[in-house]
Amino acid sequence: MTLIDIFDPKAAPKPVGIDLGTTNSLVAHVVDGKPRCITDCDGDALLPSAVHYGEHGQVIVGKEAMRLAATHPRDTIVSVKRFVGRGADDPETRRLGTYRFAEPEGDADGKVIKMHVRDRLVNPVEVSAEILKQLKKNAEGALRNVGGAVITVPAYFDDAQRQATKDAGRLAGLEVLRLLNEPTAAALAYGLDGHKNGTFAVYDLGGGTFDITILLLDEGVFQVRSTGGDSALGGDDMDRALAEVLLREMGFPEDAGRTPELVRIAIDAARQTKHALTDRDVVEVELPAKGGATVCPRITRAMFEELIVPIVDRTGPSCRRALKDAGMKPEELDGVILVGGSTRVPAVRAFVKRMFGTEPLGDIDPDQVVALGAAVQADLLAGEGNADDVLLLDVLPLSLGIETMGGVAEKVLPRNTTIPAGARQTFTTYADNQTGFEIHVVQGERELASDCRSLARFTLRGIPPMPAGLARLEVSFDVDADGLLHVSAREIKTGIEQKVEVKPSYGLDDEQIEDMLLDALDHGEEDLAARRLAEQRVEAQRMLMATRQGLEVDGDLLNVVERAHILAAIDALDGAAQGTKVAAVESGIAQLDMLTKDWAGRRMDRAIAKAIGGKGVEDVARSVEGAGGIEAHLGSEREKG
Amino acid sequence: MDPFKTLEIEPRYDLDLAAAEHRHRELSRALHPDRFVGRPASERRLALSRAIEVNEAWRKLRDPVRRAEALLDRLGIETGETSGAKADPELLMEMMEQREALAETRATRDASRLAELTSAMQHREKAVIASLSSTLSRDPSAAIPHLAELRYVRRFLEEASAVEDELL
Repeated sequence: MTLIDIFDPKAAPKPVGIDLGTTNSLVAHVVDGKPRCITDCDGDALLPSAVHYGEHGQVIVGKEAMRLAATHPRDTIVSVKRFVGRGADDPETRRLGTYRFAEPEGDADGKVIKMHVRDRLVNPVEVSAEILKQLKKNAEGALRNVGGAVITVPAYFDDAQRQATKDAGRLAGLEVLRLLNEPTAAALAYGLDGHKNGTFAVYDLGGGTFDITILLLDEGVFQVRSTGGDSALGGDDMDRALAEVLLREMGFPEDAGRTPELVRIAIDAARQTKHALTDRDVVEVELPAKGGATVCPRITRAMFEELIVPIVDRTGPSCRRALKDAGMKPEELDGVILVGGSTRVPAVRAFVKRMFGTEPLGDIDPDQVVALGAAVQADLLAGEGNADDVLLLDVLPLSLGIETMGGVAEKVLPRNTTIPAGARQTFTTYADNQTGFEIHVVQGERELASDCRSLARFTLRGIPPMPAGLARLEVSFDVDADGLLHVSAREIKTGIEQKVEVKPSYGLDDEQIEDMLLDALDHGEEDLAARRLAEQRVEAQRMLMATRQGLEVDGDLLNVVERAHILAAIDALDGAAQGTKVAAVESGIAQLDMLTKDWAGRRMDRAIAKAIGGKGVEDVARSVEGAGGIEAHLGSEREKG
Repeated sequence: MDPFKTLEIEPRYDLDLAAAEHRHRELSRALHPDRFVGRPASERRLALSRAIEVNEAWRKLRDPVRRAEALLDRLGIETGETSGAKADPELLMEMMEQREALAETRATRDASRLAELTSAMQHREKAVIASLSSTLSRDPSAAIPHLAELRYVRRFLEEASAVEDELL
């Protein structure tokens, strides 16, 4: 084992929290127990989520990209989050905007959006990765070495949007510890700050997404009761509504004659006007008009507020539904937390006050609160903070279902189910000797599968040939703590695990991600191999450390033979991790993993017993025999009764 | 999977839900995937599946229909909707009428009528749960008709809730 050298010039990796926003992105970390946003060289915490693709392949992210958006509207991608995990056929891609979307090349190409920038095609995952890379660079400037990252997503993001975000993190070279829901992150920033207890609503209106979450804070437990929202509603819509007005003033009432440059100028002016109207009643905007003249329309706050009424009102039904799902009335809430830059708009604050009947809380900067909460969570996950005190229980935002005969979506997991969650469903074959099966997974609340969001088609193969109706396929749908779906299947009669092939409806498959990784690295294959070795070494170190710690704490749960095997595997893995062969490290990990599997189960039983409390060592000892300690306990209770 | 066993609580219908929720929290603290970040893959997988079981158990126990099913399952009493127990034709008739009334409020978007229907059915739900609870403690095998009625009532309430969502 290598000793940690305190003079090592390479600093210890520090975990970070990232808010990957529609308009702005931030990175934060915890110093001396307090989360802080990391600023760039100009002292700004907000990085505009704009990516400019230059003439010679250079990529510019942030303020400079935002400036270039006016002159190069098609080669500068802003608000890319609105396209993440969406298809080219999505109405969202057809709204007022300036991009050149590429037509998908047949079915094999999937439905992932691609945009022409300069002489290349980029997808939203790649664009998001550029923003993440810039944040990582800024963080490295402050921390030298960046460890794992918690990246936030809107609570209402579906599986495809979450997966795309995670893929972007991977592409940016970040170890994604967790995808955290933005409202939960905000509550974490508030909850730990004020040690508040009670039920809170988090009203999060960002640049392009709206979330409403009702959650219970109780002595460090953050339990989400319900969540709702709209993943395509936000400040952007206000900008676009106002931009329409400005374009009319500029002499372009119709689409005809509007160039991408003019549209960009109008949208930028609209955003600046919106910001100015937060503190002022009237703003005069100078704009280029048709024929080279200049116009200077006066926009009053009253005009603006009237313009955005339909947008703000759209958040109402989601709020009412979230309250209903949580079984709460507005007056029962202990407070409302405001998140997202769009909650600075006075009309939005007034709406929230009317809806919930209380003055909303906004003492933490609504632009920063999510990143700060994410940093707290990253710190806890990396084992730096006091993780025992905090527990985040999040929920599935949208029901998961499968398409049945007749195109009806049958729900397997309803919305607002606490995650991680799982459901099992049994299927049978309908033809003799049928060896394959297709399952269409959808997400949403509508009755027909075609009205829900298509997530993926899973193909099961290798079912042993049997007469129709005899094979019994048990399919497990597991949703992990990130809100991501995993599907596995087995044939019950034979117990054979079935191979599940996933074809994401909107996402990228592993191969495509791998190709993108190759493209992104300077020396392709070579760099990728080096990266894989580094990753496997980290995993090996992690495993060695965990196993050694486990031996100290729970070594008594092993018999002599098991212990000897594990010690040998530790030495073997330690040796392999010093070498340069990826395969050797991988097989060392697999070997140790296999040898510690049963032991891990016993340790888990012990942890459960400890959590429940009041159980003697005898009960735990019984679990060593492989029986569940809980079962043994209950069995004796039944005999008594 | 027996949810009572998973949460290690005494199997009974009139459960102390607050205590059961507390137990769910305690187990979640020990098993939540966030506790296993940076641990070996096998431990992470195991913890994930246990955490899923614990969440699933709590989801079953807090639902009055699934809690009854879990109790009857323990006793080896068949509870499936196709378990042979004939539905009471009178109940079927009544439920059909109720659902027609619900469909009507959906078409007319009549929120106050919907609230009436919902509140009446919620009262009925309470009564059915009370009789289900007492039968389960005396003669579990006689609980099936009550369980069937509760299923109809709950399904009606779910549909009413979906209509309410539309009217929000």
